[in-house]
Amino acid sequence: MKKVKASLLACAFGLTAVLAGCGGSQQASGNNQSPANTSGSTPTGASAPASNKPVEIDFWYALGGRNGEIIQEMVKNFNESQKDVVVKASYQGSYYENHSKVLAAVSAGNQPDVTMVEVGSIGAFADAKVLEELEPYTNGAEKKYIPGLLGNSYWKDKLYAIPFNRSTPLLYLNRDMLKAAGLDPEGPKTWEELRQYAKTLTKKEGDKTATYGFSTAIDIWFYEALVFQSGGSILTEDNKALAINSEAGKAPIEFWTSMLKEGIMKAPPGEKYNAWDVAKQDFLNGQVGMIFTSTGDLRGLKENAKFDVGAAFMPANKSYGAPTGGANLVILAKSSDEKKKAAWEFVNWMTDTAQTVPFSLESGYMPVTTEAVESAEMKAAYEKEPNFQVAVKQLEYASPRPMVPGYKELQEVIMTEIQRAVLGQATVDEALQKADEKGQKLLKK
Amino acid sequence: MGLVGRRAWKTIESILLFGVGLVFVFPFLWMFITAFKTMPEVYQFPPSWWPESWQFNNFRIAWSSGPFLTYVWNSLVVALGTLILQFLIGVPAAYSFARYRFKGRNMLFGLSLIALMIPSQVIFLPVYVQLSHWGLVDTLWALILPFGASAFGIFLLRQAFMQVPDEVIEAARLDNASEWKIMWTIMVPLAKPVLVTFGLFSFIYHWNDYFWPLIMTNSDTVRTLPIGISMLKAAEGGKQWNVIMAGNMILVFPILVVFFFAQRHIINAFVYQSK
Repeated sequence: MKKVKASLLACAFGLTAVLAGCGGSQQASGNNQSPANTSGSTPTGASAPASNKPVEIDFWYALGGRNGEIIQEMVKNFNESQKDVVVKASYQGSYYENHSKVLAAVSAGNQPDVTMVEVGSIGAFADAKVLEELEPYTNGAEKKYIPGLLGNSYWKDKLYAIPFNRSTPLLYLNRDMLKAAGLDPEGPKTWEELRQYAKTLTKKEGDKTATYGFSTAIDIWFYEALVFQSGGSILTEDNKALAINSEAGKAPIEFWTSMLKEGIMKAPPGEKYNAWDVAKQDFLNGQVGMIFTSTGDLRGLKENAKFDVGAAFMPANKSYGAPTGGANLVILAKSSDEKKKAAWEFVNWMTDTAQTVPFSLESGYMPVTTEAVESAEMKAAYEKEPNFQVAVKQLEYASPRPMVPGYKELQEVIMTEIQRAVLGQATVDEALQKADEKGQKLLKK
Repeated sequence: MGLVGRRAWKTIESILLFGVGLVFVFPFLWMFITAFKTMPEVYQFPPSWWPESWQFNNFRIAWSSGPFLTYVWNSLVVALGTLILQFLIGVPAAYSFARYRFKGRNMLFGLSLIALMIPSQVIFLPVYVQLSHWGLVDTLWALILPFGASAFGIFLLRQAFMQVPDEVIEAARLDNASEWKIMWTIMVPLAKPVLVTFGLFSFIYHWNDYFWPLIMTNSDTVRTLPIGISMLKAAEGGKQWNVIMAGNMILVFPILVVFFFAQRHIINAFVYQSK
């Protein structure tokens, strides 16, 4: 009995210790926040606060892995480069987790000052009046960015977001396999050529297909690309309805379905990004000759492939075309004026040529300023690895992703319907009809 | 027929158990193997069933990708702190539900059962706003306090306490034992298997929890291990599966150890419950 009492006492002490631990780390983090530089800041420029204390701003980012480490490094450099602003950067999960967190934080009033938002969600955030309009801060600075990357920065003709880590889908080629089959190692230029290439590369062993010519996840991003290539758009001009129940909306599904029927294309199994991973794995193992995937994959594929990896424009139907992807930087409307000014300094610095060049070279995302693309450093890198330039060149044909508030839900609907059509569970017309009906409901909200 | 039939049944049972066991063990085995592979070997097809050369470096990369010592410490504080709080609140609550008749008892017990049925995703927003008002967001408190009263624990302990024969308590009361003493020195030891089982469930849940710490914390100083592991995963581009799996090994190792030592108690608890 005494033993039990003693252990209870220990429990109680343990609890106090644990609670003290909480308090301790809270204090510790508070101490970390106290700015190191309290003197010597020069009160010049828009960002300088009334007192000599630097302005502290919170930056929430949504990239893990090596790219997350690069961002931390950039923020450290920014903090060391000047004395007026101190940025506290913290990782908040994936784009969508960060999305929910920011919305929760805004309603509680402890939102960050700067964050990353996936390009397709900018409209939803801007529409909810969560984002600060940026033109008063930029003084025309937005002209330095590549026009093809600004498509998802505007909502109702107002600037809300600055391109940061941006990608676009490309066609990846196993050049060794293409050469061995007597094909042009630069890859197919049109849908018809893609079909021919896929046919030539497909190898059968008995009843089984040993190598497929082509593979792609049946994903909304690639569907958007093929619709653009067919001269269509996803939404009507007034953003009130889907525009895919049309020739341009049907063409991609019919193209994929016919190649699947011919047995020259593989639809990789798996939900969402799992299907992408399967396609990449098949590509690396030489089981498929060509795949669609993001610019962001170029480095990883090159490092792990035992063959010559090539990147090319996605083939054209009526024209070349592709959506862009990745995320933009935004400033939150609820922050104080002082912090918003500091936040703009930071956003401007992060996306400036001096930063976007090394960021692009290390992460595989595209550089975001026109000056960066022309820079000697970038040109040298492109010369060494021409694949890296393909994405930037394709931007000339890029269209923004649809960004109406309901699109996040709607894209799931479209994906489900095109997958049903591709799997033969519905005809193309039925599937698009259904997507159209659901779209009407979602877009009316 | 009798003996042969029984023997045949035993064989079938063993095969079935082996199959089910394999289903459960395989993901762990795959994680273990992948954690030691090189990237090209991860992508290799057909896959290799044993690493060609053991890449211990994956663990070093995972461990040094962030302040992992802080994450581990925070995870321990949160999982154990929650557990202690749950016991301190759950034992008296369960005792009173099991052994007292008072006005509103059924209603209160019903309320705690309702709490059992609501997932944390549903209530995270109001809890977040409330904790934010109290200035507790981005502290370890935000990860412990909301889970202090565990409906599941109260329910489980109440069932256990109800099975203690009345005579035991009456005998103790005759010996002038206080209610407090009866609760902690008679009831709690008798419910030990249930306590251990509940403790294990709670520990594993809070050790593994990703959603709540992600929502409630913003800075590395108060974050837990699962968030550190998720940071190993890149959003776009190549995922380093070998490093991610090495991180997962670090995450599950303590749980496997705890489970190993508590296994006997868990089996006891389920036997005890079904009596």
